Amino acid sequence: MTMERIVIGVGNRDRGDDAAGIAVAERVTGTISHVVPTGAMDLYELWTAHDSVVIIDAMRSDAAVGTVRRFDVSATPPPAETFASTHACGPAAGIEIARALGRLPTSIEVIGIEVGDLAVGSAMSEPVEAAVDDLAAELSDA
Amino acid sequence: MTDDNGLREINVDYLARVEGEGAMYLKLDGDEIIDLEFSIFEPPRFYEAFLRGRRHAEAPDITSRICGICPIAYQMSSINAMEFAAGAKVHPQIRALRRMLYCGEWVESHALHVYMLHAPDFLGYESAIELAEDLPEVVTNALRLKKLGNTVMTLLGGREIHPINMRVGGFYRTPTRKELDSLVEELEWALATSEATVRLVSGFDFPDFEMPYEFVALRHPDEYAITDGRIVSSEGLDIDVSEWPEHFEETHVERSNALHATLRERGTYHVGPMARFTLNHDNLTPRAEAVADEVGLECGERNPFKSIIVRSVELVLACEEILGLISSYERPPAPWIPVEPRSAVGHGASEAPRGILYHRYEIDDEGFIADARIVPPTSQNQRSIEEDLRQFVAPRTHIADDELKWQLEQAIRNYDPCISCATHFLDLTIDRVT
Repeated sequence: MTMERIVIGVGNRDRGDDAAGIAVAERVTGTISHVVPTGAMDLYELWTAHDSVVIIDAMRSDAAVGTVRRFDVSATPPPAETFASTHACGPAAGIEIARALGRLPTSIEVIGIEVGDLAVGSAMSEPVEAAVDDLAAELSDA
Repeated sequence: MTDDNGLREINVDYLARVEGEGAMYLKLDGDEIIDLEFSIFEPPRFYEAFLRGRRHAEAPDITSRICGICPIAYQMSSINAMEFAAGAKVHPQIRALRRMLYCGEWVESHALHVYMLHAPDFLGYESAIELAEDLPEVVTNALRLKKLGNTVMTLLGGREIHPINMRVGGFYRTPTRKELDSLVEELEWALATSEATVRLVSGFDFPDFEMPYEFVALRHPDEYAITDGRIVSSEGLDIDVSEWPEHFEETHVERSNALHATLRERGTYHVGPMARFTLNHDNLTPRAEAVADEVGLECGERNPFKSIIVRSVELVLACEEILGLISSYERPPAPWIPVEPRSAVGHGASEAPRGILYHRYEIDDEGFIADARIVPPTSQNQRSIEEDLRQFVAPRTHIADDELKWQLEQAIRNYDPCISCATHFLDLTIDRVT
């Protein structure tokens, strides 16, 4: 086990703002990162060698597009309806399966980026691009 | 809910534990079914349209994007079609590697569905999370099986999601014996675990329910058909894949974004594990046959709820197949053979985890795709799902709405429907008049 952190980006790079999590994971430097599509029941496999995990995902709440919210999910589940997935299992379910199996790391945080346009083939919106850059810089420096 | 006119309406706005977005609507007047619809509202993705004008060799990589669960099926059916059109025949060891890779996809898909999506129905859990809380060892084994399937796909397919190593004519790179041997220890564990899975799920309580399905599956004279074969049915159909258009048709129904497929002569038919098990029973691998016999699973089983047992038997079969193919593996002389396109129509089919996946392409004399048609298993099973629901509800209208919803969702999940594929669907509504 290493205390080195892993940054995990979740999303679909071909659906506009849904690429936000993946974009952060791809832009961080100096830290281990990984990108996953939205189906992730076995998410815990990614952090077997890490004790600190940050998961970045697209979020839908009533906030302005580009808003960043942080959820410490070490003790309580992330709000599943905020991180919905059209696949059989989204990251929130992946985290809860890990919790049920006793496989959560000591530290696990979910960072949500409020999204707008999720149309197939569209680019990320400007507010989401800006949030992605800010997060990538912050997580790279940590 | 029951309205002022006594009409009873039950809605499930979003069906859980299926791939993609769809719905079911049921309207009852007392014991009479007024309306029952299973609809797929996931938007169509127009793959056939944007395949037009692409080169023949691009079809495997483009169509694999249709599904994150069964990309190998899309690659295999498109490759079969292109090689058929060009009159190409690959080396037997290339075919063996394709079967190995395809079995990896079956392991990944079946483990996911049997344990994480379908078993909670029988054990009374809302989701795999509750299952994990009460039976962590079961879920750990499921995820380990799924991981093994992914490992096979990564080794042979280049990566676990949307693999890129299979191509028209063969593979970009073939594995070494040492690489394949690295899978054996985990496959031996998976084989024993899959046998235990068959024993576990065969002990579940199954509703007393059977349907007079016409089963349709691929059949191969020497093996449990997976990568290719003739199309056969339990009513005597026995045709080459190229004869598909003469025997099957697709029609659009307003409620669904996925076309409904029917047999021209007899209408509704059923594809998937139960059809394969019945039509290929004599080609089961030894340990798959032994454990099926041990739990009393009979050839011709027509209770769709028992599809969970059949999928588990196919898990055993897939692990045995991979082990056997590794044992006899000799690296082929070349990873691929050149396949020169020609002006022709290519037909290809393979057995995706959910059933037959048929592809048809018209190739022009410069090797470009002039027309494409893709018929996934879930769209073929839509009518069968609706008929199951109709027959299942009829003697059960007295059941309270919440319990009836649960049972109907379970009946849909018997098919492991992949709605994303079917649209290239779930929202469930029950409406009671009285």
